[in-house]
Amino acid sequence: MSMFGMLDTAASGMRTHRVWLNAVSDNIANISTYRPMDEAAYQPRYVDAQSLPGANGQYNGANGGVGVRQILFGDPEGRVIYSPDHPLADENGLVRAPDTDLGEQMTQLMMAQRSYQSNSTVILRAKDMYQQAMQIGRG
Amino acid sequence: MVIPPIGAIGGIGSVGSLGPTAGATQAAPGGDFASKISDAIDQLDELNKASDTAAQQAATGDLTDIHDYMIAATEASTATELAVSVRNRALEAFQEIMRMQV
Repeated sequence: MSMFGMLDTAASGMRTHRVWLNAVSDNIANISTYRPMDEAAYQPRYVDAQSLPGANGQYNGANGGVGVRQILFGDPEGRVIYSPDHPLADENGLVRAPDTDLGEQMTQLMMAQRSYQSNSTVILRAKDMYQQAMQIGRG
Repeated sequence: MVIPPIGAIGGIGSVGSLGPTAGATQAAPGGDFASKISDAIDQLDELNKASDTAAQQAATGDLTDIHDYMIAATEASTATELAVSVRNRALEAFQEIMRMQV
């Protein structure tokens, strides 16, 4: 859509950061998901973002934006911890915990949320701008 | 939402068809006023349809992105406002000509 290119670009940013927020939410939700040693640990999700080319591969101000190229998965080895009382522990008392750092995930959560917010602000400003342009037709 | 004004937009067609009879507007390089308006209305219709689809998805719980609906609704309402604005200006111009002393 050419008339509302700015809105569509900002919307692509919001969509991408929504996926990122989903991924972080998934990682935090699974922070205590332990697996036995003969299974793969919970693999943290990472969003691989990619800028979208404009029409004909050229930036013309009305296209572009960002998209999710793929979701990458973390280490299936996980973090092997010694917890002999755990029901899933093997004969050596080891279980696999996800290799997720909660502090890092919280930081990513803040980044994703702020980016989402920034894109939302772009939409608000763009809307104001369109309204401003329509003021020409009044009076 | 902003659907009622669309009915009124139909009136522009008749204003636009005045174009060919008036010699001054005939030589417009980018197509005449009527075809421009009709293109704009097609676009407006598309935006309204996108907004309706998003509304339906929101009602049925299929909407994955809340902002997609809000943006579709904003685009539809802004485009409608623009179309109504253009219609009003065109009508004003038409009435101005009708008031002309001959």
